[in-house]
Amino acid sequence: MLQQYIAIAVIFFFLFRLVWQKKKKQIDSREFLFWFVFWFVAGIIILNLRLVDELVASFGFSSSGINVLLYISVIILFYFVFRIRLRQEKMEREMTKIVKNIAINNIKP
Amino acid sequence: MKIFCVIPAWNEEKKILDVVNEAAKYVDNVVVVDDGSIDQTVEVLKKTNAIVLRHIINRGQGAALQTGNEFALLNGADIVVHFDADGQFLATEIKEVIQPLINNECDIVFGSRFLGKKSKLPFWKEFIIMPLAHLVNKIILGRTLSDPQGGFRALNRKALQEIIITQRGMAHCSEIIYKAFKNKLRIKEVPITVIYDEFGQSFGGGIRIIKDLLLAKLLD
Repeated sequence: MLQQYIAIAVIFFFLFRLVWQKKKKQIDSREFLFWFVFWFVAGIIILNLRLVDELVASFGFSSSGINVLLYISVIILFYFVFRIRLRQEKMEREMTKIVKNIAINNIKP
Repeated sequence: MKIFCVIPAWNEEKKILDVVNEAAKYVDNVVVVDDGSIDQTVEVLKKTNAIVLRHIINRGQGAALQTGNEFALLNGADIVVHFDADGQFLATEIKEVIQPLINNECDIVFGSRFLGKKSKLPFWKEFIIMPLAHLVNKIILGRTLSDPQGGFRALNRKALQEIIITQRGMAHCSEIIYKAFKNKLRIKEVPITVIYDEFGQSFGGGIRIIKDLLLAKLLD
């Protein structure tokens, strides 16, 4: 039970931070909506862990619900890291183009 | 025929002067792409007639070669020779590397350390790194040549226009071979000599090449 309270407190912290960031216009509406839904769903799951256990068991998993959620989170995190890596590589290519153009254009005829 | 020699250089203050002066004997223009050096490379180059292009930040050898290629194309190059700044190649062999292009026998010439002329490769490089490089080229790119990681090559205008180097690091060697085959360019290999005074590509560098090639496969 204590763990659930702590988790809810953490979620509230991130939700307040999210609203604060939106007010300061540090994030756009799309990003705000994505993370709001993300933390909201996380809160619902935390409050209904027994339901999650039952749901996970109905899919045939022997682990508890929270364990399965943890596995899924790790997979999702790996996917995000991969996406970020691809985006970073694209940015590196753009940067190279800029450096190349500066090098060529700075040459005096 | 207008022949350019493109030399990417990164912190090569000790050797660049000799390399440029030697290469200049065999080509019309030497273009050095300084890849964000933090030593005296650019200052040293002022003593030569080389055209110096400067990358404001370090972007890697592949990126520097592409900058040189594009500059050469813009300035009417018919042939571009890629040459290293560390003094490992012999400038006298530029003639042999460009001759097949002058004779219109091919579109791209790759210098090879494994055809006739004997280069003294470090043991681990000859028997571990090179076979691995062959394997990686075959698996990831489906193509390889007798020298999978050689940096001494020459391209005619057609090859320069068709091969756009996107691999900014050392994976550009594999990329150029792959794109030469993909664009159905006429390819020739010519024996060259390489003088090793240090280890060259490290094992970690080899791993980085594999990683870059895999990433490029996902992006392209």
